[in-house]
Amino acid sequence: MIFNDFIFYTLAAILLFAGIRVITTRNPVYAALHLVLAFFTAAGIWLLLEAEFLAIALVLVYVGAVMVLFLFVVMMLDINLDKLREGFWDYLPMAGTIGLLMAVEMVMILSGKYFAPTTVASKSADYSNTAELGRVLYTDYLLPFELASVVLLVAIIAAIVLTLRDRQDSKSMNPAEQVLVKKQDRLRIVKMDAVVETPSVEDPKADKEKS
Amino acid sequence: MEYIKTDLITALPELTVLFMAMFILLLDLFIKPKNRIVIYGLAQFTLLAAAYFTVVTYNPSVGYAFSNMFVDDPLADILKLMTFLGTSMMLVYTRQYMQQRGMFRGEYYAMVLFALLGMMIMISGQSLLTIYMGLELLSLCLYSLVAFDRDNARATEAAMKYFVLGALASGMLLYGMSMIYGMTGSLNVAEISSALLEMNTKNPVLILGLVFVVAGLAFKFGAVPFQMWVPDVYQGAPTSITLLIGSVPKFAAFAITIRLLAQGLQPLAVDWQDMLLIMAVLSIAIGNITAIAQTNLKRMLAYSTISHVGFLLFGFMSANLNGFASSMFYISAYVLMTLAGFGMILLLSRQGFEAENLDDLKGLNQRSPWAAFLMLITMFSMAGVPPTLGFYAKFTVLQAALQAGFIWAVVFAVVMAAIGAFYYLRVVKLMYFDAPKDNARISAPVDMQLVLSINAAALLLLGIMPQTLMQICGVAIVISLQ
Amino acid sequence: MTLPQISLLIVLLPLIAAAIVGLWGRHLPRASAHWLTIAGVGAAFVLSVIVFKATLNGYTANYNLYTWLTSGDIQFNVGFLIDNLTAMMMVVVTFVSLMVHVYTIGYMSEDPGYSRFFSYISLFTFAMLMLVMSNNFMQLFFGWEAVGLVSYLLIGFWYKRPTAIYANLKAFLVNRVGDFGFLLGIGMVLYYTGSLDYATVFQTAPALADVQVTLIPNVSWSLMTVACILLFIGAMGKSAQVPLHVWLPDSMEGPTPISALIHAATMVTAGIFMVARMSPLFELSTTALSFVMIIGAITALFMGFLGIIQNDIKRVVAYSTLSQLGYMTVALGASAYSVAIFHLMTHAFFKALLFLAAGSVIMGMHHDQDIRNMGNLKKYMPVTWITSLVGSLALIGTPFFAGFYSKDSIIEAVALSNITGSGFAYFAILAGVFVTAFYSFRLYFLVFHGKEKWRKTSHSHDHVHAADEHHHGLSPQDDPHEPGWVVKLPLILLAIPSLIIGYIAIEPMLFGEFFSGVIFVNDEVHPAMAHLTHHYHEILHSPAGMALHGFMTLPFMLAAFGVLLAWFFYMKRPDIPAAIQKKFSLINQILENKYGFDAFNERFFAGGARSLGEKLWKIGDIQLIDGAMVNGTARLIGRISGKVRHLQSGLIYHYAFAMIIGVFLFLTFFIKIN
Repeated sequence: MIFNDFIFYTLAAILLFAGIRVITTRNPVYAALHLVLAFFTAAGIWLLLEAEFLAIALVLVYVGAVMVLFLFVVMMLDINLDKLREGFWDYLPMAGTIGLLMAVEMVMILSGKYFAPTTVASKSADYSNTAELGRVLYTDYLLPFELASVVLLVAIIAAIVLTLRDRQDSKSMNPAEQVLVKKQDRLRIVKMDAVVETPSVEDPKADKEKS
Repeated sequence: MEYIKTDLITALPELTVLFMAMFILLLDLFIKPKNRIVIYGLAQFTLLAAAYFTVVTYNPSVGYAFSNMFVDDPLADILKLMTFLGTSMMLVYTRQYMQQRGMFRGEYYAMVLFALLGMMIMISGQSLLTIYMGLELLSLCLYSLVAFDRDNARATEAAMKYFVLGALASGMLLYGMSMIYGMTGSLNVAEISSALLEMNTKNPVLILGLVFVVAGLAFKFGAVPFQMWVPDVYQGAPTSITLLIGSVPKFAAFAITIRLLAQGLQPLAVDWQDMLLIMAVLSIAIGNITAIAQTNLKRMLAYSTISHVGFLLFGFMSANLNGFASSMFYISAYVLMTLAGFGMILLLSRQGFEAENLDDLKGLNQRSPWAAFLMLITMFSMAGVPPTLGFYAKFTVLQAALQAGFIWAVVFAVVMAAIGAFYYLRVVKLMYFDAPKDNARISAPVDMQLVLSINAAALLLLGIMPQTLMQICGVAIVISLQ
Repeated sequence: MTLPQISLLIVLLPLIAAAIVGLWGRHLPRASAHWLTIAGVGAAFVLSVIVFKATLNGYTANYNLYTWLTSGDIQFNVGFLIDNLTAMMMVVVTFVSLMVHVYTIGYMSEDPGYSRFFSYISLFTFAMLMLVMSNNFMQLFFGWEAVGLVSYLLIGFWYKRPTAIYANLKAFLVNRVGDFGFLLGIGMVLYYTGSLDYATVFQTAPALADVQVTLIPNVSWSLMTVACILLFIGAMGKSAQVPLHVWLPDSMEGPTPISALIHAATMVTAGIFMVARMSPLFELSTTALSFVMIIGAITALFMGFLGIIQNDIKRVVAYSTLSQLGYMTVALGASAYSVAIFHLMTHAFFKALLFLAAGSVIMGMHHDQDIRNMGNLKKYMPVTWITSLVGSLALIGTPFFAGFYSKDSIIEAVALSNITGSGFAYFAILAGVFVTAFYSFRLYFLVFHGKEKWRKTSHSHDHVHAADEHHHGLSPQDDPHEPGWVVKLPLILLAIPSLIIGYIAIEPMLFGEFFSGVIFVNDEVHPAMAHLTHHYHEILHSPAGMALHGFMTLPFMLAAFGVLLAWFFYMKRPDIPAAIQKKFSLINQILENKYGFDAFNERFFAGGARSLGEKLWKIGDIQLIDGAMVNGTARLIGRISGKVRHLQSGLIYHYAFAMIIGVFLFLTFFIKIN
């Protein structure tokens, strides 16, 4: 057990360090890279807990896909994160004090005897973490699982709604539309009585009534 | 496979809404802008269908589905029906507004339906997990709807604030839930409750969890000190969205408060009663007093909401069935009043003009006695002038609190309500005694005029005959919580 | 028709008329507004007389019409309690209201809000009837608020005048204070007796006489004292007793007919009526009665003083109303409830008369209200002159006039009372008699006698109304004219009861069985009324005897002296008041500032509430939470507010920080108490 503990504390220390660096470093690229480091160490801790599938998924999804994408975005957009952090030092004394107090309080509450370690019965050799996860996910937790998918769907829609816009000055043509155009789309034939003398007077009235 | 089928039948209204939301999203691609009214019709139809399924599957007992994560009890059914009604009214009120501002798009209706789905999930949530998922679904829709008018800087700013603070609140709620899960070993509210009965309720970790859960709930309601987002978002969002945020989601917030506090954490009632008391008193005080200094009508209504939330908590903090029923009555009254209040703002707004300042109401009586009268009833109801619905709602919650022994808090609330009457009546004064600033004709679709009139009339009629609604609330609470 | 049906009709007819005229008045011919409402109120008056006759023959009834809601054991009902007191009030209210309706045809004939006005006064009649006919506290409170609401609407009737709007707001705010006490009082009654029904409450009340309540730890009061004082605070608001009187003089901004109807004859007496109705409760607490008496005495005397220096004709009458309300209140305090109601009735007639006469003068003077610009109007407005004289004589308590019987009875009752404060009250109301006579006849002489001063003045408009285009005043070469019959008829019809009603009614109302079973007096503890009855039967024998005896009493001498002094000062030697004014400028200033009540309220209450709201917003929301808690430096607040415009403002941090602080405090607090 001692070796396990050693690994855990090492990983946990690296994780904390990486986490702090993410929010303190000035260069956004470094911050992203520290986040990658944090993910790696977190995955390591999960491995210790015998949650292999989650650990691998974390590395694959977050490190492999999300963070790479994020790095690209950061590099392409060239956000000046320094500007966002303006006032950091002004806030620090007050925020730091409260944060510290809060942390002390929570440590006092949580470090008590309430979360005593329980020994988990070791699983048999053919126990599959992945299979078990899949079974639970599609039976007992079906509803939250499906809801999660709806949430993701909404997130996609929201992102598109808020950002996608047709360019007004675009000069692109749509040949299909041009081919499909019919006469009545372009041309309106208005039947008029020959005797009407002052059509201009009637028009605004009709308009008003419509509106 | 059999159990899945019964589960699906139980959740038929939810499935209807989900299916229709996605259908609308797809249909919108193939429909010409001038025919978009079809989508509006479909959204209303969805609400009708969901209401129909809710009524058909109604039975006066408690049923569970999806591994006890989803509950179908009278409380859920009635709250859902109220939510459908409120959403339907909101769609009627906002149609013209959205059309005039180029926001009459399919996504709007899809988002509203997704938000509705989130509310329904919250209302039926029996597990911490489903409650949280429903809340996230609802919040996400609301965030994006606030920013829906994306070229409006104020709206985007409001959305940003709402999003950041909402995420923080969600985090708090989730953290609290995780603590409670850690101590009780269960996500199911019924199991949590029974587990707590056998534990030492003075356990600090439980209190820690409780504080965070209460904070998350209070944010959703907008109770002090978690109210900061309310005025900014109410004012910044397009009025139609403010109408949505201010009205029906409160039903869902009410439901999860019942599920979490009254069903799950009832053994900790001694603690959360005090928390709610503090928040209730602060909310009523800050809401009412700050509202006086406002010149923006939407902002004033936002502070008024905060004070209403305070009153709502009065019912909760008595922590008995009577109190919960009175809270439910209050929330119904509140939603009706909010719909009418923001409905009036929408009515007075027109192309290129937002009637959101108090001055815009000046001399309304001369422009349209009908509109002024509707607003008069609404303001009287919000102020709690008898015999309106608002009066009876305040009366029941205060009575419940009185019976639970919170005498001084009730006296304080009455004083604050009297102060609050001032700013509501100032609106009345502006409408009836001041000269109008602009004389534009008030034009609105017939259906909106009709529904708004019915809405205001309901504020009066339900105030004169509140017994039926009170009975419905009482029955729903008693059957579902016993 | 049965009597319950008639009673219901009495209430509904004015309401229906008000609704029709209010909702469709603009589409109906102008004349229909007054015909409809006069028909409604007139019918109500006739029916009230029928009910009154029935009650004289012993008819009483107490029944519920409709149950609004039931909450636990408590029922909220709408119901009527018809007895002698109610019936008398109904007759007075409908009669004065009818007179005012007729008068309004003339007074408001040119006003654009003609139909609106009729709708309001009819609505007021409905609300007032609901108030007096109520058989429970809930309906009483409803009527109470409803008459208040109509009163605000009418004070602000000319909503284009800023002063009217201000007066309207002031009336509203001051009445909130009273209503708050009233509501608390009702709440206490409900809490301890478990009922809102008069009959039940009065039945259970004696059992609660010895109950003590502890509001603040270690200090306990008698329940009945607290409840009665709270109820009386409500009456103080509505009946304009010191220090809640400030709204009444300002309410004169409203049109004169409503000053007569609402702010003299009916609504302001609601408080008096309420206390009389609650006599079984007030009898249980001598302390509360003392409180009532002292407040009334202060009002009676000091508000009279203010009448002396007013120059606005309506304000003089308004202060006299305040002072007379004080008299009624004193009578209540002396347990002479029937005397208070008697004075209420006689006062309703002669004060409505005085107001309507003042309105007639105002019309004659083309809306100039300053009495310094009037004079010798008796030549041009004979009817107004005679009726005013009748009203003034009744007001100062000339024997044989209505006011004499009621006022003299009050003075006697207080003299015979033995509760704390009765000595002071006796002195105050005696002095009040002189003051009343002085200011009444100052007004009378200045307006109807002397020189025709408007001919000389270079037209100094009353500055208050200078802004209004309707109020030009009379030009020097014009003669004032008496308005038409719609104005003169109500004056004459009101002058008749002002003359004779006291003579007719004193014996049955005060010393007969009229109020038995309605008003309850505990003769052993509060024997004033019993002594008074005894005194009357033994020495005076008849109303005529009382009047003859009245010529020899101190009050009469004081009144006569007051009249003479007024004549001397304002007719014979007008230079003396000016000299006095100069000599005693301090007193004059105090009086002109109305003892500083307005300034105090303005600065303390109104200003306080306003700045509290602003401060809480600024300090609480912006500085304390957003600012001080976060960074505490003004420099940063400035920097942040500059950034607010940008999306990435500091504000989100503040909001988030407030949330975290909230959680932190909750956590600390609740972990600690466990």
